Amino acid sequence: MLLVLSDEHKEHLGFLTRVDSSVVGEFGRIAVEFLKKGSNPKIYEGAARKLNVSAETVQHGVEGLMYLLTESSKLMISEVDFQDSVLTLGFPEELNALLLQLYLGNRKEIRNILKELSPSLPRYHNLEWRLDVQLANRALRQQIKPVMILKLHLDQNGDKNSKILQTDPATLIHIIHQLEKALEEMKTSHCRRIVRNIK
Amino acid sequence: MRFRFCGDLDCPDWVLAEISTLAKISSVKMKLLCAQVLKDLLGEGIDYQKITKLTSDAKFEIGDVKASIAVLSFILSNAAKHNVDGESLSSELQQLGLPKEHATGLCKSYEDKQTALQEKLKDCSLRLNKLDSVSWRVDYTLSSSELKEVNEPLIHIKFNIRNVDTGKLEPTVMSVSADKFRVLLTELRQAQAMMNSLN
Repeated sequence: MLLVLSDEHKEHLGFLTRVDSSVVGEFGRIAVEFLKKGSNPKIYEGAARKLNVSAETVQHGVEGLMYLLTESSKLMISEVDFQDSVLTLGFPEELNALLLQLYLGNRKEIRNILKELSPSLPRYHNLEWRLDVQLANRALRQQIKPVMILKLHLDQNGDKNSKILQTDPATLIHIIHQLEKALEEMKTSHCRRIVRNIK
Repeated sequence: MRFRFCGDLDCPDWVLAEISTLAKISSVKMKLLCAQVLKDLLGEGIDYQKITKLTSDAKFEIGDVKASIAVLSFILSNAAKHNVDGESLSSELQQLGLPKEHATGLCKSYEDKQTALQEKLKDCSLRLNKLDSVSWRVDYTLSSSELKEVNEPLIHIKFNIRNVDTGKLEPTVMSVSADKFRVLLTELRQAQAMMNSLN
């Protein structure tokens, strides 16, 4: 599938035609660095002074490159599609080849960075448990009531929190039974077929 | 095969695999390694430099070092958890393939520290928030906006609760009238008598 670039985006990238290919290569390297570590506005100033253009133009150029790379990596477009999409910008042949190299070289890493941006649910970290027997309470003495206290530690993006739960043995056996059934579900032919196809 | 130190369950496969790794170092070195792992389990910190020195002769890679520390932690903490005596632990480890001198060395270190280890494990057991301290004050209300002559005693109690997760002290304050306080005191005294009878 082809990337559709907005006019504004094409305008920003148009700046790249007015400079040498070595400078474009440098901008490409800067764009990848920014994707990995975050942007650094001072670099725009330095480059703008050297090239005798406004810092804003440089910024638009670099950001345009960053967006081009992230969109292509996100959609995982093929070489041919990338070349066709870039053709619409009207760049010279060597510039297109340069951009293609930039894309193919950094695609995997950009995809790894994008992977971390998805929302995450709390994940299991640890489970502590304790078996108590309640012998008496204010209302009733001489009881024997076994109680399981569970502390479920969860981890969400580095934030830890814990939930305290209580259950009687019968419910606990039911929970164990349900979880074992869930594990066994992996062994059914339906799940096995899907897992084989993903691998 | 059921093993007491695994809680009358099968021994995990990774333990079986790493016992053969343990057999590669001499029994003297293994006893020193045990001492280090016991120090770590008792919360006294572990000296990785010493461990690398001990294992360097047998040319352990970093993976082997980690595995041997893990398997020793597992064996020692589980043996303490299920209250296994040194003799049974030694015979079970020999059944799993650990050479006799290694097993005897390990069990001697274990027996020396068994009580301390069990104490430490008891301290680490799941506890909900603990009561840290209580402070109180008895006031005497002379008069209020509702009634000119009140003349009633009033107790202010502050419970300082230590949160087990954050370690911070959380105060809970309440004021109790004389009658309610008498009821509270009687009930708590009954609970205390019950706790003392069990002790």
